Amino acid sequence: MTPPSDKTTKTAKRLIKVALVEDQPKVRESWTKLINSFPDFTCIVGCATGEEAVRVIPQQQPDVVLMDIFLPRMSGIECTVRLKELLPNTQIVILTAMDDQELVFLALEAGADGYLLKRTKPSDLRKALLDVLGGGGPMSSQIARRVIESFRQRAKIRDESVHLSVREEQILVLLSQGYSNKMIADKLALSIDTVCSHLKHAFNKLHVRSRTEAVVRYMASKTPQQKPGA
Amino acid sequence: MFFASASRALGDGNMTADPGSASNPSEPYISPTNGLGSWIWEEKVSDNQTCRLWTTFEIPEASKVVKARLVMTTDNEFTLYLDGREVGHGAEWRELFVFDLIWLLAPGKHVLAVDCFNGSFFAGMLLGLQIDLADGRIIQVKSDSSWRVVPNGLSRWETRTEVPADWPAATIKAPLGGSPWWTQPANVNIMPTLQPIKVFFWQTGWFQITLLSICAVVILISFRLMAQLAIHRKERWLLRQERARIAREIHDDIGSRMTQLVLHGEVAQSGLPENSEIQQQLVQLCEEARRLLATMDEILWAVNPRRDTLRDFTAYVCKYAEDFFRPTQIQCFFEVDSEISTAAFDLPLRRSLLMAIKETLNNAVKHSGASELRLQIHWQGQRLVVVVQDNGKGFDPAVVKSERNGLTNMAQRMGELGGLCLVTSQPGKGCRVEFRVPLKHPQQHFWNWFWNAKQLPEQISETRASRADDSPQNHDPTK
Repeated sequence: MTPPSDKTTKTAKRLIKVALVEDQPKVRESWTKLINSFPDFTCIVGCATGEEAVRVIPQQQPDVVLMDIFLPRMSGIECTVRLKELLPNTQIVILTAMDDQELVFLALEAGADGYLLKRTKPSDLRKALLDVLGGGGPMSSQIARRVIESFRQRAKIRDESVHLSVREEQILVLLSQGYSNKMIADKLALSIDTVCSHLKHAFNKLHVRSRTEAVVRYMASKTPQQKPGA
Repeated sequence: MFFASASRALGDGNMTADPGSASNPSEPYISPTNGLGSWIWEEKVSDNQTCRLWTTFEIPEASKVVKARLVMTTDNEFTLYLDGREVGHGAEWRELFVFDLIWLLAPGKHVLAVDCFNGSFFAGMLLGLQIDLADGRIIQVKSDSSWRVVPNGLSRWETRTEVPADWPAATIKAPLGGSPWWTQPANVNIMPTLQPIKVFFWQTGWFQITLLSICAVVILISFRLMAQLAIHRKERWLLRQERARIAREIHDDIGSRMTQLVLHGEVAQSGLPENSEIQQQLVQLCEEARRLLATMDEILWAVNPRRDTLRDFTAYVCKYAEDFFRPTQIQCFFEVDSEISTAAFDLPLRRSLLMAIKETLNNAVKHSGASELRLQIHWQGQRLVVVVQDNGKGFDPAVVKSERNGLTNMAQRMGELGGLCLVTSQPGKGCRVEFRVPLKHPQQHFWNWFWNAKQLPEQISETRASRADDSPQNHDPTK
């Protein structure tokens, strides 16, 4: 755990508090510098492992957690599941080195609110973080497709505990066909905000489901989760 | 008609009682004793004695048998063999047994053998065989001293066509009608007529040998094929392992370090004054590293065996198209089968298909001037069909030289995979490119689950192995 940066004490109330989970000290340092260089962000805590994150981050109550997906022992995805339980209102953004849609879906399913490539330009990084905080997390057509598929598979085995509303499914289908949020709003005569909130709901349903599943899985095995894809 | 109570049906299954054939029982029976020989036996007679008598006769070549009647009896029991085949059995010395042998006699040498048994007191065997040939000649075989007595303890004696000279001759015990036997039989039993044993082709030795050798060859070939299959699967598994290793190394080592490089570069440049020469160079450096990382994403995707499914392919193609068209005027729409899933989609196939699709998208951006593009991916029987359709200005395929826009290249690439590339376009009506590649539909083979069940243990051990490999290196790329 790195000590909170000196900025925190002065203007903590106006700044967006960021927690960082990254196992390599140098990289963690660079990220901290980068985040602190943004005028409206401050990095309040940095953790090296998932276990440490679960222990330390809840006390700090950050607004955003930036989570590396590959961590020793407890993976970033597992850690996301646990943190989301403890801090339901904190946004969790997964960081990946490689653009792998399958991994991204796994992370989003586990409760992450968005994902970022580690190589994203600093200027884009700030915008992307603000997007996530504003509720407009990234959603490619493929991820929309996977979300629909996931719910449909669920319906096949007659698990009716969580299912998508007609509107949510409609929006997801359009998204999977390549329509942007704006085009969907036009097509369905809704406001963009409504579309976003429907999507948010759909994702929350996905999280609720996968979180219980993941916890059950975790309790059952008591072994570290398999690292998802190389 | 009379049937001897003591006679029994013979076991070879080819025997038929056919009263309508050559020996017509309705034919008036003048004297059954006509043509009979004398009562013969071994020299010594004793109770509970077995006596085996043997003789041969010959039917001349190129003659046809029109009638062959054998009449015999024995005091007390007999079993008659002709050429080693059991013909009949009798156990009443007061009666005569008549056998019709017409179907069993062909030109050539024949062996008559009688296995006799004497219960007590007198013993004798009486036999007469008359063969009428088509040319009027008559061959007669009677029981007389030309018969030979078979020594005890010999096996398959009834099939012998030659015998050693030291087999003793039979002894005449009494002439026909002589004491202590009858002058007229008490009864005449017409025995069932025997048909020749039909040997079907599948019963012949050469056929069975051929069949067995074919079976043996087939079994050997299947063993060989199974061995090859096992080796092939092992090779594929090793290849997957190797690909997984390469993917891991690219990701853990090159990928993370390059990402760190970009990150450090960004941090370094933020500390420098804006627009200074060094800062500009650092910006360029970071840009270049980012482009490199993007290229590596693609290599990683292609190499990683865990991304060998159709779903991953679809994901990649759609993501690529999204990113590709974002900075352009073209809006891209997707129509993807919902059942597109985890069907295996091997590297050479998906890589070539991806290249072809990229080429098509590139063409659309460069030449079409379209505002909309549709990308469809769906199953059609055992084929995967990818359609790229734009609403651009189109072209006349006859006019546009195919070498120039890479159409030939695409068609050739698809052809190598057993697939197809169809380009249809008209000026003003957009362009439609369709790719078809053969791909096994996962749900259409019921035996798949069996095959998969067999492969499962391998996959599990594979996962374990890769997991074991993963953990330490993954998090310390600087090592």
